[in-house]
Amino acid sequence: MWESWKPDPSNKQQQVAMLVDTSECIGCKACEVACKQWNENEVRINQEPGTYQSHPSLDSQTWTIIKFIEQPEAEGMGQWLMQKHNCMHCTEAGCVTACPTDALQYGDYGVVTLDQDSCIGCGYCEPACPFDAIHVDKSTFNQSAQKAGKCTLCFDRISNAMQPACVKTCPTDCIKYGDRDQLIAWAYERVEQLKAMGYKNATVYGDKELGGLHELYVLLEGPETYDLPVEPKLSKRLTFWKYGLQPIGKALLGTAIFGMIINWVAARRTFKGGLHPHEAEAGSTMHD
Amino acid sequence: MARTTGKKIKKFSLSQRIFHWLYGVSWILLVLTGSIFLWRANPESAATGLGPYLQGSVGAAARTLHRIAALGLMAAPLVWIFGDFKTVLPDLKELFSFGKDDLRYMLVAPLHYTTGKPALPPQGKYNGGHKVNFYVVVLTFIAFVVTGLGMWFGRGTIPDEAFNNMRMVHSIAFWGGLAMGLLHIYLTMIHPFTSRSLSAMVNGWVDLRYAAAEHSRWVETATKNGTAQIVEEGK
Repeated sequence: MWESWKPDPSNKQQQVAMLVDTSECIGCKACEVACKQWNENEVRINQEPGTYQSHPSLDSQTWTIIKFIEQPEAEGMGQWLMQKHNCMHCTEAGCVTACPTDALQYGDYGVVTLDQDSCIGCGYCEPACPFDAIHVDKSTFNQSAQKAGKCTLCFDRISNAMQPACVKTCPTDCIKYGDRDQLIAWAYERVEQLKAMGYKNATVYGDKELGGLHELYVLLEGPETYDLPVEPKLSKRLTFWKYGLQPIGKALLGTAIFGMIINWVAARRTFKGGLHPHEAEAGSTMHD
Repeated sequence: MARTTGKKIKKFSLSQRIFHWLYGVSWILLVLTGSIFLWRANPESAATGLGPYLQGSVGAAARTLHRIAALGLMAAPLVWIFGDFKTVLPDLKELFSFGKDDLRYMLVAPLHYTTGKPALPPQGKYNGGHKVNFYVVVLTFIAFVVTGLGMWFGRGTIPDEAFNNMRMVHSIAFWGGLAMGLLHIYLTMIHPFTSRSLSAMVNGWVDLRYAAAEHSRWVETATKNGTAQIVEEGK
């Protein structure tokens, strides 16, 4: 069903999404390789010792990773929880709000797009993202190389009726791509199945968070177990910074400049020759 | 050129002037390099905005210049403190004493500098406007230094919320400081009457007649104390 799905090219408002059924993820990391390959991102070897995780976190050239969370059990064997982690393409995105040049925008199909040509590498998006999903290389003086990097939901592929690279390559089909509403309906059904199988804490993540994510999850445990934020909120201060403070500041600046021009026009008449009217009166008896 | 009495009174020492100009030039560079990104492309028009100019080598130069100018801004007060310490405490004492005459000055000044009326209350070496400007400078200086250094060196290591708060404070300081800074530049360099005070910050001397009108309390006190340095023009 999902393998052949493609969005309606005449309806850019259609909301698409990726869904990761973590119960079927085997942690093979094929998605990581496909992402690197399609996006031509450089290979970065920085595996953390003592884990099967390929990278400790996402970075500007590593847009998706499989997070490995070990769950020790009191009796018997422990289990590994795996979560494919990348940009969540939030409906209310902190990175879009924080971006001063609008390089990050809400694009077609609900995808949060990043125009690297407009990115100035300021890094404001990094702390604005509650998922640690967007990064800028830190280099204080070699700044021309700084550009933000994050999952684009393979916007170049999906806008050409192709599936995202990670979806295409996933050997267990645990990553699904399709209409967001349909995927959500499927996810809730899947959660019921998992609960019937004994996974009592199974849940859907991404349905309501931040206005609705375009990266959805069927999780085996609560989001906190995966280090995902519970009920994340878009910072009101961040929203005010961009949509309140900056327009107010610009309006005040315009008003101040206008006031100075009016003052200058009037003051030129009052203070002729740079003299105060009192000086001008007294000066009629003075010489230059 | 305004007619004068031919007499000038010394207002600022060399160290004070270097402090002022180092601070002022750094501030202007910081404003120019720090505000480029505010002028975004308008999606409704063909205008591209200025943000893209912060990329590549131009962007790298702007960001590096922003940091160098920040160092200049932070170093500026040291020039005054180490160059002419004897004037630091008396000047700070006056700047931080805001009396009724200063308040009256602030209320009357906008109309006075437009129409010449009503009369200004007697002012010291620093008038009410100078004092308010100084308070804004001190507050924004602290805000810029703390949040600027925090964002420069703390990105990735300080908590995200702290970074976001620093950016917010930096922006508020920018808009507040910009409004006051532009008013200061206008009054000292463009306004037909008050721009006569500019010489005090260029060569240290200001026309005595202007000083007597604008800073009557200072001129009277300094003349009485014998601390006033007054010379004839050309000497």
